[in-house]
This record gives sequence, C-alpha cells and structure tokens, in this order.
Amino acid sequence: MLDSLVGVGELAVLMFIENPLNEYALAFPILECIHIIGFTLSVGTIAIIDFRLLGIGMKHQTPAELLSDTWLWTMVGIGVMIMSGLLLFSSDPDMYYLNLAFVFKMICLVLATVFNYTIHRKAASADSTPPNAKFVAYTSLILWGAVIFGGIFIAFINEGLSL
Amino acid sequence: MILAFAQWIQSTAFFTSLRQSWYIYPVIMSTHLLGIALFGGMVLFTNLRLLGVVMRDRPVSDVIGQLRVPKRIGLIVIVTCGILMLGSKAEEYYYNSFVWIKLSLLTLMFVHGWVFRGSVYYNTAEMDRAGKVPGRAKLAAWLSILLWAGIACAGRGIGYIDAPLDKIHAKLLHPASTAPYPQATSE
Repeated sequence: MLDSLVGVGELAVLMFIENPLNEYALAFPILECIHIIGFTLSVGTIAIIDFRLLGIGMKHQTPAELLSDTWLWTMVGIGVMIMSGLLLFSSDPDMYYLNLAFVFKMICLVLATVFNYTIHRKAASADSTPPNAKFVAYTSLILWGAVIFGGIFIAFINEGLSL
Repeated sequence: MILAFAQWIQSTAFFTSLRQSWYIYPVIMSTHLLGIALFGGMVLFTNLRLLGVVMRDRPVSDVIGQLRVPKRIGLIVIVTCGILMLGSKAEEYYYNSFVWIKLSLLTLMFVHGWVFRGSVYYNTAEMDRAGKVPGRAKLAAWLSILLWAGIACAGRGIGYIDAPLDKIHAKLLHPASTAPYPQATSE
C-alpha cells in the first residue's frame, strides 16, 4: 500500500536506509582510485589495439594477435570500472542522474562498450587489416575519450537537468 | 622561495587565463586522465611481460622495444597537462600535501628509471638470449606498477584538499570573479 503513496526514492528515505558508503569518508576516494585503475586497464589495452589499427606501435604483431593478448585484461578492467562506478553512483544517485555530464558519459559508455564488442572486435580479429580499420580505431579512441571527459566534467558542471 | 615562485608563476598572464576559464582546467584534467589511460596500459604491458604474465610467446625485447616510443609520447602528454594544472593553481597546490606526495613518488619513479634503465629495460635482448627474466627485472616491474598506481592515487587525492583561503593571496587567485573556482559538486 505504501508503494502507491510514495516513490521508491522517498520510500528509501522513509525507511531510513543509509548507504554505508556515505558513512566512511575514505570510501569514495578509494573507490575513485580503483575506478581509475580499472579504466586504465580497459581503455589502455583497447588503445594498444587502436594504435595498432592506425599503424602506430606493436607492428610486429597483427591486431588479432594483440586482441588475443589483451582481451582478458580489457574485460577485467571493464568489470572493475563498472563495479566501482556503480558504487560511486550509489553514493548520490539523484545528483548523478540530473548531471548533464554524467548522462553524456553514460551514453558514450554504452556506445563505447557495444562498439568494442561488435565492430571493434570484428575489425581487430580480421585475418587481414580491414579497409575500415582506421575509422574503427578513431571511433573507439574518441568514444572512450568522451567517456573520460564526461567523467571529469561531472565534478565541474553546475547546470543539471531539471525534471 | 618555492612559495614565492608559485605565486609568481600562477600570476603570469598565461596561467591566469587558464585559471579563469571554467572549462579549460577540466579539459586539461580530462586530457591528463586520457593520457594516463592510454599510457598506463602500455606501462602495464611492459611490466607484465617482464613478470611473464602477458605475451609470453613473444620475445621480451620485442614487446618492450615496440612500446618504448608510444610510452614516451604518452608521458609527454601527461606531464605537460600536469604542469599546466600545477602552474594554474600553484599557490594553492603549494599547501596541498598530496601534491608533495605525488611529486615525491614521481622523484622515486625517476630514481627507479635511473637504477633499472640500463640493467633491465635496455637489457631485454640479454634476457631473451638467456631465456629467463632475472629477479632484478621482476623487482623493477613490481616497483614500477606499484609506484605508478601510487602516483595515480595521490593525484586523485589532490582534489580532496581544500585551498587554505586564509593563507592564499585572494587577489592573485581570482581578481575578477566572485567564485574562486568552478566548485566541484561531487565531492
């Protein structure tokens, strides 16, 4: 019956549910460090392939060989990044939800992740370098770069969405 | 003397204009972080190869040699952005203990390079000939990973220390605006 009267957020307040993350001052900065290490691992290993597709670095290996060397690290990095990111988000969901930079970041994150496991993977695992290799590499670098820019701007943007 | 230098450098027209724009500082910071992501993966792969964790079927010299130049380019980008950020709020950062921790760790990283450069990172052909990576190289790899991770974490810590507004020269910091900086909203 209570559900029909109040929204989920208000229900949480009514029930005095406190996120334990907000009780320890060090929890947020430590999670941020884990988040940084996670995206360094994922974006860094994806970039090794992107640079290879662009003909920069690691030329003695094919993109497919590099993919087989990096994919596990990329996946672990993405896992760490998303898990720590969800926890960071949980510390103040309303603020993030209404923050334009955060919304931008989430859109780019979904695009970048889907792109990575579809078109990017296909281009990198091809037997010979596909004609769209450079386009794929630039798109990948720009998408992941946009995720990072969005993340930094969360803390600097003051205007939010008004809902 | 360092404080006087910090006050002078941030008062130059160039760093003043960086500080007064609401978006230039976060753009530099984003580029700094992007550089860390791109460069960090390469540093990690260099060290993990020494530890025998990744690309084991490829010669050590091949992996490390090919990553050397891109790593240097990445480092230049990161350090340039770091200097721009440091210079634009030099006086505030003078009072920030995480800045000093980070600079100390970077100095240790420099010492690490000086100690291990010749015997490890430029000695990879010898490792391939011997068919094994010596303990010294594995130590260098672990230290490199730990130091770089420490530097990244110390960097994040910088943002958590508030500027001591009673100590810094307010007129030098924000002569025209009412708000000192674009305030971080998530912290």
